[in-house]
Amino acid sequence: MGFFILLCVAPLLYLLIGLWQWAFAGGDKSCYILDYECYKPKDDRKINTDFCGQIITRNKNLGLNEYKFLLKAIVNSGIGEETYGPRNVLMGREENPTLDDSLDEMDEFFHDSIEKLLKRSGVSPREIDVLVVNVSMLAVSPSLASRIIKHYKMREGIRSFNLTGMGCSASLISIDVVRNIFKANKNQHALVVTSESLSPNWYNGNDRSMILANCLFRSGGCAMLLTNKTSMRKKAMFRLNCLVRTHHGARDEAYGCCMQKDDAEGRLGFYLGKDLPKAATRSFVDNLTVLAPKILPVKEVLGFIVFRLIRQLNLGGSKKRGGAAGGGSDAAINFKTGVDHFCIHTGGKAVIDGIGTNLGLSEYDLEPARMTLHRFGNTSASSLWYVLSYMEATKRLKKGDRVLMISFGAGFKCNSCLWEVVRDLEGINVWKQFIDNYPLKKIVNPFLEKYGWINNEDESTFKIPDEHLPKI
Amino acid sequence: MPTTMQTSSPKLKFLKLAYQSVVNNVMALILTLGMVAVSMHLYRAGPEELLATVQSLNVSSVQVLTSTFMVVFVATVYLLSKPRTVYMVDYACFKPPFTFRVPFATFMEHSRLILKDNPKSVDFQMMILERSGLGEETCLPPAIQYIPPNPTMADARAEAEQVIFSAVDELLKKTGVSPKEIDILIVNCSLFSPTPSLSAMVVNKYKMRSNVKSFNLAGMGCSCSPISIDLARDLLQTHPNSNALVISTEIITPNYYQGKERAMLLPNCLFRMGCAAILLTNKRRLGFRSKYRLLHVVRTHRGSDDKSYRCVFEEEDRDGKVGISLSKELMRIAGDALKSNITTIGPLVLPASEQLLFLASLIGRKIINPKWKPYIPDFKQAFDHFCIHAGGRAVIDELQKSLDLSAEHVEASRMTLHRFGNTSSSSLWYELSYIEAKGRMRRGNRVWMIAFGSGFKCNSAVWACNRNISGRKDGPWADSIDRYPVHIPEIVKL
Repeated sequence: MGFFILLCVAPLLYLLIGLWQWAFAGGDKSCYILDYECYKPKDDRKINTDFCGQIITRNKNLGLNEYKFLLKAIVNSGIGEETYGPRNVLMGREENPTLDDSLDEMDEFFHDSIEKLLKRSGVSPREIDVLVVNVSMLAVSPSLASRIIKHYKMREGIRSFNLTGMGCSASLISIDVVRNIFKANKNQHALVVTSESLSPNWYNGNDRSMILANCLFRSGGCAMLLTNKTSMRKKAMFRLNCLVRTHHGARDEAYGCCMQKDDAEGRLGFYLGKDLPKAATRSFVDNLTVLAPKILPVKEVLGFIVFRLIRQLNLGGSKKRGGAAGGGSDAAINFKTGVDHFCIHTGGKAVIDGIGTNLGLSEYDLEPARMTLHRFGNTSASSLWYVLSYMEATKRLKKGDRVLMISFGAGFKCNSCLWEVVRDLEGINVWKQFIDNYPLKKIVNPFLEKYGWINNEDESTFKIPDEHLPKI
Repeated sequence: MPTTMQTSSPKLKFLKLAYQSVVNNVMALILTLGMVAVSMHLYRAGPEELLATVQSLNVSSVQVLTSTFMVVFVATVYLLSKPRTVYMVDYACFKPPFTFRVPFATFMEHSRLILKDNPKSVDFQMMILERSGLGEETCLPPAIQYIPPNPTMADARAEAEQVIFSAVDELLKKTGVSPKEIDILIVNCSLFSPTPSLSAMVVNKYKMRSNVKSFNLAGMGCSCSPISIDLARDLLQTHPNSNALVISTEIITPNYYQGKERAMLLPNCLFRMGCAAILLTNKRRLGFRSKYRLLHVVRTHRGSDDKSYRCVFEEEDRDGKVGISLSKELMRIAGDALKSNITTIGPLVLPASEQLLFLASLIGRKIINPKWKPYIPDFKQAFDHFCIHAGGRAVIDELQKSLDLSAEHVEASRMTLHRFGNTSSSSLWYELSYIEAKGRMRRGNRVWMIAFGSGFKCNSAVWACNRNISGRKDGPWADSIDRYPVHIPEIVKL
């Protein structure tokens, strides 16, 4: 009799422990976004088609082939006329950036966005417990995190982290840092600041694989306020459901496909290799493999597994459709069963098209990413947040919606995360002033109009037309 | 900084010892007294009376079961909500090859050739070197040994590969852990940050798993090692059964100042090559053979004070050359930062006797007489070993004075500065290695690592030794430990 009682006690104990953990230990360890602010640089920093052409032609190192290559790249890039550039480039000093240029660029962003964010949310700088800053291509001493702490007079006990070198996927890595700290510590406020430093990184040489970076990257940034305080749950905008990171650095071709190095003449530039799309696809597929079971309903995942099994059994020996699991086999799994909106890193038109095909997304799904690429260009790590603000501004986000963020970065990494919308959002953000013009009915590619003739030029007879030569 | 109480007379010493043993062991004393009282009562009562008392309690089996159940439940809840212990399995430091040595003669010769138009700057460098506390075996990377140095990104990457891979190879061999078992990777290097990051470089070289959580911290100065440990600790709380690899280094190649501003030439004289790789874990299986257990990490950031922020500052000189300028108030600022850090760490580590004294002095100053000297707690009571960042001779002197440490306590820092120079964030680990190589580390010993860095930050980490560590036959001190300690004169005449 005693033994029997003992036998019943053990599972009861387990159940009670589980209940206790769910009720108390698990409760306040969620990660919420209270508010976020995307940076809109001042209008005098806009770079339009004319100006782009000027910057290219004034680079004495570029020959005819490079000129043609660059114009082709810009024509097909999907970037519009109102993106923003760094001040030293606008002033013509891209060949000789100073340290102060870089720091001023960062200060302009910090003083604008962080100020607005803290004022709007009502959180004082002294209440911030964790600060994570990620700017990939600038490492100064004291760090940018210290710069922010000094300017806003934050607490002495603040835990700051300054991440660098982690590429365009770094903002999700910062969120990962915050998420882990939240799980181990209660009642915290965190400030995440993400941006990219363009001033010191303009490439002045003529290596084709490196000048592409000049055409794509634009200025931008985002500051986010996160919290795990249960009292702030109702005021929050988003809740983090899950975050998946995939690192393909172990593969040499993935590691080497985008890298900062000296060119043949010793000029520092950002090399983008031809294997980049393949490395991106591979890491994307790996990431989805881990992500799908976490975010999709069980039915969908099981259905997909069964589908794949049947296909493999049916095809048997025929290898022609076996191949890499891109395109066709992924279109069979419907991510829309678990995700309502897709925030895609605006790496370029090719990236957005690629992901759209892989996931079987419609034009409506890809619209936020395309419009962000057009209006702000590729702002590196902060691009996801511009896409999110677009969705907010066009009133797409309703309570309970799930938003999937996907980003890629040098290394090669693919990071993704799923946010759940906590309350209906009104969309008072960086897009507000001009959201009425969007979505653009037809993306008139200004570069196509002005330089589209380049697509038809014959290489042997190509000569820069007089009107495009720099005015002396 | 105010000094501790004078304990010169033996009577006072004895009194202090008695006071400490009573206050620190008050719980044990009370329990012992209680047990003595109970056993005396039992002895007097006799066995028959005891049996009668027990039987009269009339406890049913249900009551026994419920109470056992409650005890087990409370114990389980307590054990589950305890934070996971973080163990340091082992660590390895990079030992530069002999050929990278920069003895004083070499350094001055290079200086004279490179700065031949600025004899005052050359004299300044010589003066600094004479008083620096560095020895003749510190090392610089090969790219810097050119006249003049012409470092490229490829050179910087090569230095990074050499220092990091050597340290990590040694660590993996010593611990027997395969790279595929690493779950978390944190790399910190202040002034060199290529894209892809150094953490991606490590993942690539060791073919780590695709779900490794990698982080690359930069710009955080010489105090970055405790920051990485802090991050690793939080990650190990949320990832059960995981290993974390932390790599602390500073890459000299791209940061050698090539101008002539004197304040900015100072770092050139002090900073040297170094790297440390540390394996942390929360796996119990590895915990048994780990060397240390992490007790506390305390971070203090004084950035809100403008002077502190500008004290160690990277900037361009008039010719546009980038270098780090050190302010003249560095010592005062370091002292202030240390005070803040001590205020937070004190309650966590000091024994009850010291805390009471501190409280008494605080109350006394507030209520009785504000002119009383503030009592600086005796940290030698709390720690057996001190690893003070070998930032420079002045820093070590200042800390020795403020914390009232003996020469033996700061020996590890001074000797590391002498043998390896200021290796920035990895210097703490060379110092720990020295203490182990000397055979001074015993099980249960507590180590306090203090580091200062730009920002201005003061970060500390407290470790407890998990097992006896015999004098090391390997490690960076293997071939030189028998020559140490050496006496370092105030000024070495060049």
